[in-house]
Amino acid sequence: MNDAELVARSQQGDTDAYDQLVGTYQHRIFSLAYRITGNREDAWDAAQEAFLKAYRNLYGFHGRAAFSTWLHRIAVNAALDVVRRRAAQPPVPLDVTLRSLDDPADEVMRSDLQQRVHRAIAALPVEQRVAIVLRDLQGLRYEEIAGVLRIPIGTVRSRISRGREMLRVMLADLAPASGEGRTA
Amino acid sequence: MRSMHVTDALSAYVDGALNEGERAHVERHLETCEDCRHHLSVLRDLVTTVRSVAPVAAPEGFRAQVRARVEQIGARPAATRWWPRLPMPWRVLSAAAAVLVIGIFAVNLLRPEGPVAMREFRGPGESPAVTGDRMRSAAPSAPEGAQRAIPGQNTLALRRVIRTAQVDVEVDKVEDAAERLLRIAEEAGGFIADSSYAETNGVPHASFVLRVPVPRFAGVVASLDGVGRVARRSIHGQDVTEEFVDLEARVRNLERHEQRLLTFMDRTTKVSELLAIEQELTRVRGEVESLTGRARYLSNQSDLATLSVAVRQKTKKTSGALWDFGATLQRMQAAFVATVRQLLAGVETIAVAASALIPVLAFAAVGWVLFRRWRMARI
Ligand SMILES: [Zn+2]
Repeated sequence: MNDAELVARSQQGDTDAYDQLVGTYQHRIFSLAYRITGNREDAWDAAQEAFLKAYRNLYGFHGRAAFSTWLHRIAVNAALDVVRRRAAQPPVPLDVTLRSLDDPADEVMRSDLQQRVHRAIAALPVEQRVAIVLRDLQGLRYEEIAGVLRIPIGTVRSRISRGREMLRVMLADLAPASGEGRTA
Repeated sequence: MRSMHVTDALSAYVDGALNEGERAHVERHLETCEDCRHHLSVLRDLVTTVRSVAPVAAPEGFRAQVRARVEQIGARPAATRWWPRLPMPWRVLSAAAAVLVIGIFAVNLLRPEGPVAMREFRGPGESPAVTGDRMRSAAPSAPEGAQRAIPGQNTLALRRVIRTAQVDVEVDKVEDAAERLLRIAEEAGGFIADSSYAETNGVPHASFVLRVPVPRFAGVVASLDGVGRVARRSIHGQDVTEEFVDLEARVRNLERHEQRLLTFMDRTTKVSELLAIEQELTRVRGEVESLTGRARYLSNQSDLATLSVAVRQKTKKTSGALWDFGATLQRMQAAFVATVRQLLAGVETIAVAASALIPVLAFAAVGWVLFRRWRMARI
């Protein structure tokens, strides 16, 4: 059964159908929430909230956009809500190399490289972070990102561009090929 | 000469998100610019690094919890709920707004003749002479004759229509009919202005002139059906708004003229001039009175509708036959027509009500769409 059929059944109150949709998208949505919020606990909350919100508002989904795009939009907003709610806490410092994992149970971040990149993304200003995550980790096209965030393509472009510039600075030591040696 | 660096476009270039022209421009620049080529390779490495980050799996139990909470919400998502889930104060406010709209609508529907019903009713007790006295006594203190207005000037915006009806009624007893007519007139807030009684060839007949407030006119005409068999009915309306407005303007002009004359009078000392002014003043005043009189008449006529009712006693049909087939047929026809008329009136009422609701519904629909959009924009 494809998404559209599952959505139609869910709209009729078929919780099994909705459960299947959750099964299809749970990893993508959890990943998205994890990269935007920066930690698994917040990611859990945000992703749960996203799936519940999607279910509650399913009647407003008419299939004009792809279900996946629609769900992404809801998830991004849920994650941003969580981020905003914990804004009272001190922001993640830019000097990512000095930070250790504050979540020891985080088994995904085994490799040092993965951990470094994750921290750098988490350190980006939130708008650029969302754009980078949607583009490079979720693999959305620019038009899809524009649709998810409801912003013009030009804005998508500049957010991704600026986000990558910051990442380049933060992760400069990771790529020796891009070091000083080559420009000399 | 070399074009500007294309640093800002490189990121999108890496993603293949540039259009044809932009890509050609970037590639032309890259051929000549070492800096930008270097930047591009750094960017490519970076993107590769970032994309090497493995996706995270949703933890154990994540899906199960979503399922449990979804089932808690209820068997159905909001699919069939037509009323939005609003917080309490909004619910109360929307209910209040709905009640208000329905109330306004109901008042509109029940009001007999639109704004005319709001027009002040001048009863029979207040004779034109009284009105005239009040006008004259108010005159000296009024500047520019503002208060010396034609009666009903404040309602000039409304149409002034003189309504008259002629109705012939056949009754069993003329005396009863007279009583009923009197009651009808009084219940409508009107009066019987004139009545006469006579007998021709032993058949008594009478005529009455009823004056009733215009808003009640239609109701009174209809209630004449209860007096007897209506043999003839003609209704006439004459719009005198224009004449009324014209009269008002002419009176204003004359009064301005009068004011000027009075000013002259104050300045001049010559007896001959004084006499001439006095003469002119008398003429102007006379004309004002005559115009005001006409306006008063129009006002009175358009405030109170005039019904001339001719009442004739039924001639006893003593044809001698056992059964007057023609009369039965006539009654059947009358009953049929009456029913059809009532049905049509009902249909008309529904149609009018529906058309009156259209703007309300359109408004509500727009509000609903906006609300939905706003809601969707928030998620
Ligand atoms: Zn360049």
